[in-house]
Amino acid sequence: MTAAIDDELWSAIGDPTRRRMLDLLLASGSWTATSLSERLPVTRQAVAKHLGVLDRVGLVEAVPAGREKRYRVDEAQLGRAVAQLTAVGDTWDARLRRIKQIAEAIQHTTAQEEKRNG
Amino acid sequence: MEYASIEREIHVDAPPEVVFEVVSQPEHIRDWWYADTDVRPVPGSTGELVWADGDNPRANAVPMSVVAVEPPRLFSFRWTHGAGETAADGNSMLVTFELVPSGAGTLLRLTETGFRERGWEIAALEKQYQEHVVGWDTFVPRIAAVAERLAASR
Repeated sequence: MTAAIDDELWSAIGDPTRRRMLDLLLASGSWTATSLSERLPVTRQAVAKHLGVLDRVGLVEAVPAGREKRYRVDEAQLGRAVAQLTAVGDTWDARLRRIKQIAEAIQHTTAQEEKRNG
Repeated sequence: MEYASIEREIHVDAPPEVVFEVVSQPEHIRDWWYADTDVRPVPGSTGELVWADGDNPRANAVPMSVVAVEPPRLFSFRWTHGAGETAADGNSMLVTFELVPSGAGTLLRLTETGFRERGWEIAALEKQYQEHVVGWDTFVPRIAAVAERLAASR
């Protein structure tokens, strides 16, 4: 996956309203924008916009239901997204480990110098 | 004739026996149509297709009545008649799935008729017809995907 898609994914789940929507979608299978808006402190129009963002990064899928659409979590896509987020987490773990090593090396050097000078 | 029927045809990389199961068995109907149903694939079996919406598990309940079951080549049912009504020409749509062996797979043909026979005003007829078109555009490819996954898992 490209960096651009990573950014879109991160910004999609970075929004608290969209995370709350994902919680509801994960808790019970299928929602229309109308029913989601009844459970959230935002308008139906805002919910529809948020669903559009989640749909574009593939976290939800829309299926037609008469005049409306019902949204559900796309499990395969969510799995891929979670793997991606975990990979980013692992990269940060590696970075933090490296920072820790550097910090420890500096501390060690400083301690040795202090001993020699003391 | 305008709005007379919806027809779709798709090649499925799964044998007719598998595709037949997918279009007719409740556990597979749930997979591709996201509907719960108590209708059994037996001629005359009646029940409902039920869709959930959020907290409401019965947000949309639509009557369904099986017409013909001829495994593995034909499955048809009527739906969208009024609750408590007996499905018949004029009060419901007739959906027919025909399955034709095609190489190692199946040619799946969907036909839905009965729109004009409902006696709706043109605006209502057009709206209903378009909603069903959009529906089958989504769900026919899903039938193929579910059948292919099922065939691959066996």
